[in-house]
Amino acid sequence: MNTTTATAELPRTHSRYPRRPRLVSAEVLKLRKRRGLVLATFALTVLPMIVAYIVLVILHATEPAKHGPAGGLENFSGSMYVLTQLGVVAAILLGATAGAGDLRSGVFRELVITGRSRFALFAARVPAGLGLAVAAVWAGFVVTAVASTVLAGSLEPPGAGLLVDSAAWLALVVGLALVLALGVSSAVGSRGTTIGVLVGWQLVLTPFLLQMGTLGSLRELLPAAATERLAPSALFDGSPTVPMSVSVAIAVLAAWTLVPLAVGAWRTWARDA
Amino acid sequence: MSIGRQANRRTEGSGAFVVETSRLRKRFGDRVAVDDVDLRVPRGSAFGYLGPNGAGKTTLIRMLLGLTGATSGTMHLLGRPVPAERTAALARVGAIVEEPRFHGHLTGRENLTVIAAAREPEAHDRIEGALTRAGLSQRADELVKRYSLGMRQRLGVARSLLADPELLILDEPTNGLDPAGMHEFRDMIRGFVAEGRTVLLSSHLLDEVEKICDAVAIVDRGRVVMQGSIADLARGGEQTILIATSDEDRALTLLTESRAVASAVAEAEGIRVRLRPDVEAEPAADDIGRRLVLGGLAIRRFEPARASLEQRFLEITSRLEEAA
Repeated sequence: MNTTTATAELPRTHSRYPRRPRLVSAEVLKLRKRRGLVLATFALTVLPMIVAYIVLVILHATEPAKHGPAGGLENFSGSMYVLTQLGVVAAILLGATAGAGDLRSGVFRELVITGRSRFALFAARVPAGLGLAVAAVWAGFVVTAVASTVLAGSLEPPGAGLLVDSAAWLALVVGLALVLALGVSSAVGSRGTTIGVLVGWQLVLTPFLLQMGTLGSLRELLPAAATERLAPSALFDGSPTVPMSVSVAIAVLAAWTLVPLAVGAWRTWARDA
Repeated sequence: MSIGRQANRRTEGSGAFVVETSRLRKRFGDRVAVDDVDLRVPRGSAFGYLGPNGAGKTTLIRMLLGLTGATSGTMHLLGRPVPAERTAALARVGAIVEEPRFHGHLTGRENLTVIAAAREPEAHDRIEGALTRAGLSQRADELVKRYSLGMRQRLGVARSLLADPELLILDEPTNGLDPAGMHEFRDMIRGFVAEGRTVLLSSHLLDEVEKICDAVAIVDRGRVVMQGSIADLARGGEQTILIATSDEDRALTLLTESRAVASAVAEAEGIRVRLRPDVEAEPAADDIGRRLVLGGLAIRRFEPARASLEQRFLEITSRLEEAA
């Protein structure tokens, strides 16, 4: 009896199926095979960091007296600001696609026919989207962290503690944008509408509202105010735009996470497939 | 691996009917799409759900599959009440509803992987067999957006086989197929039935249903107006005899004298004789034959003309229209 035969005669068990949740793997497959989406995500996260540091290196090399070294804490802080903004846009793209992809293609109906719980179908989108979004911004973060350390020259490089805190904070900001986009797109069923509304909210309306002092403590309800409050203190100069306690910031972020997810899950459960 | 049904496989339910509905109703605002439908689909048969476009066929299927809720009434799939035990019931149900939909940016095989992930783990083992059965093994790694409509239909069949289904629900499955594709599809469905699976086929194509199905329910304006075996249904129609003789004019004269004859019309293939609904067919045929022979005519053809499903369908629906 050869090895192949022996293997074929072994009793069937479930151990040969992947231990990770199969629905999550399927969601990751659907997202990562969208070539345009993957390219756009990395164009928003990794590419700008590479380009930014190349420009800084060239500037420093051509006019060292006017432009300091490309690395260092100050440039790290600046590139983190850009990475956060663009990472949020990438997360919105991923979240909107993960939330509305099955509906748009009509495959949601085919998934419902399997008898699988609609909540399970919705829930699988969350870790899949989060995994890809965080992986993308962390790839950009690695470029930033390495460049700002290696190219620091005479400047102070970011410390290890700051790098770890910054990576965690970046994941928090991007994760929040992703679940918001996922919940909204699952509720409205439209990727384009979700992207338009949330990018406008994030890049236009939020900065405007944050600066409106007349709104007073109402601004604490803005997720951007809460994430800014939780940012590593060494990352951005000055105090947060909207002063608030850490516990309020956490509560605001919890609400901005749970409410969109609850609405998206409810709509996924209730809609005609 | 073959996707053919294993003979010793446990079946989910042992009841005589795989689909049972009772006073099932679906209302969209003022419009009643499905109206108190009592439907029973016998296990191991090819069952046609036949009706014109807009009769409520797809709505009923969508309710059975949990895609939309019922307004009232009860449903059982494979002996299990739905939606209460929907997950367990649908585990052994494969379905194609309207045009099968896929992720165009994934390959055929990847699309099956996505659906298998939502089913039991063993569904992954059935992917290769399902692709082979649907004749897509060679094209399984191409993106679905490059598939023709016929290939998508095949992939839809492959997808429905991932459940190793006891019941296949196919809603207008031959839409868009060319004649060769339709012929192949018919053979595939009969093959499923031969394996012991039940096929519920919804269609507005009478000819298709007649060629594939053993039994049928006719639905019109949301109501099931008749159900039974194809043979029973055809027998329930008008009794007609087709006759060819040596002298057609003389035969027509003799036939109109018979009290059993409702009408006699000369057609290209002979005289079509409709019997009165209140007479017994056999004695009436004996009487007609005797008259023609005694009248000196040579009989070249004398056969009962079986009503086609189409004739019966038109008869039933036109009767309903008159009643309305």
